[in-house]
Amino acid sequence: MIETALNLAQPQNIAKPHIEIENLNLWYGEKQALKNISMQIPKNSVTALIGPSGCGKSTFIRCLNRMNDLIKNCRIEGKVFIEDENIYGADVDVVELRKEVGMVFQKPNPFPMSIYDNIAYGPRIHGVNKKDLDSVVEGALRSAALWDETSDRLKSPALSLSGGQQQRLCIARTLAVKPKIILLDEPCSALDPISTSRIEELIMNLKKDYTLVIVTHNMQQAARISDYTGFFLMGELIEFGETRQIFHNPQEKSTEDYITGRFG
Amino acid sequence: MARERYLSQLDLLKESVLSLGEMVERVFGDSMVAVVDLDVKLAQRTIVSEAEINKLEEGIEISIFDLLALQQPMASDLRLVVSSLKIAADLKRIVGLSINISKIPGKIEGGHIKPLVDTKKMSDIAAYMLEDSLKAFKNQDVELARATAARDNEVDKLFYAVWVELIEMMAKDTSIISRATYLLFLIRYIERIADHCCNICESVVYLATAERTKLN
Repeated sequence: MIETALNLAQPQNIAKPHIEIENLNLWYGEKQALKNISMQIPKNSVTALIGPSGCGKSTFIRCLNRMNDLIKNCRIEGKVFIEDENIYGADVDVVELRKEVGMVFQKPNPFPMSIYDNIAYGPRIHGVNKKDLDSVVEGALRSAALWDETSDRLKSPALSLSGGQQQRLCIARTLAVKPKIILLDEPCSALDPISTSRIEELIMNLKKDYTLVIVTHNMQQAARISDYTGFFLMGELIEFGETRQIFHNPQEKSTEDYITGRFG
Repeated sequence: MARERYLSQLDLLKESVLSLGEMVERVFGDSMVAVVDLDVKLAQRTIVSEAEINKLEEGIEISIFDLLALQQPMASDLRLVVSSLKIAADLKRIVGLSINISKIPGKIEGGHIKPLVDTKKMSDIAAYMLEDSLKAFKNQDVELARATAARDNEVDKLFYAVWVELIEMMAKDTSIISRATYLLFLIRYIERIADHCCNICESVVYLATAERTKLN
């Protein structure tokens, strides 16, 4: 089934994928959560992953910066190449990998410190000079469309920001360490519609400089902001293709049934 | 199953388009009987039925706007909604053309200038095209849609044959120009109705395959 689905729906004309996943399998103890996933994610694009709860999309995205390494009893097979390097190779520096592949989570999780220090935290760890920090912080906040709202209160606690601002702060914090890839795990599910629109706009602007992979339960959001969409079901990647095609004319019946609300 | 109300709205939309189609078939059929027999009373009844048909067409449009605004249909559902909107518009145009045909009997005095043999053939083909295009919509039958649209060539050939014949008749006998002109209008209306049937077939192909195609 996977073979057919991928042959049908793997997006065509990807000159050089930024992320290439080959036969990825993952088990939590005895339970297999990802089954033989292969896909190629193009550079400077937004790829949305959709599917019902428990289908493996969050587990999958966490494989892309080895967050699943932290989970007990989790076993992974297969390869994930980022710019030709298998991130599951023996000599990979996981800290360095997570700098390259940043992640934003469902619930905004700013550190209990000032707005400035939230952004400066990563760059400091990675050895950015004190004199350069101000410009790094400003650049990250500008990129995350938060500078205008925070420039006059950088020393205020990050937790005093609204939920939407906190989430943009988390994106800014991710950008501050200059990643190449940004993973977003349901970044808008705790936000109101206006904050959601801001984040969506931000995601679309960020693809100029980054490759973004977003897990979302909101199909309209996937349709609006992504270039490519992958549909997961029970640990399998059922279909992966250009977003326009997936939402217009999916090739697999289960994709059609899911996006038209016939199950899920 | 999730979204039962939504799915029943989609079913209702399809049924409404098919009901509209049945009404349009009847109006076109009656208008052709009225013009061939120069039956002014039947023509008048046909003209009156336009209001009822327009009401149904408006209802379909409103339900489509509601579905788009409130339910955000996707994939084949979206294609059903969009093609229903287009098919309803084509059916409305066919009604308009049929009403134009119904207005002809009241204007022709002294009977037809010739038996309407080829004109009747044209309208029979157009009526089959209308019936089959709606059947293709009902069953999402791409083959039937393509075969139906292909019949437009027969209508076009008859159109040009009758056109030339009428022009020649007018050149020979100028006293028939007024009545012949109404027949020119008539064949033009029938030819346009066949074109709208082709449009419906194109919508069916899009509905079933997501392909945009030109069949006319």
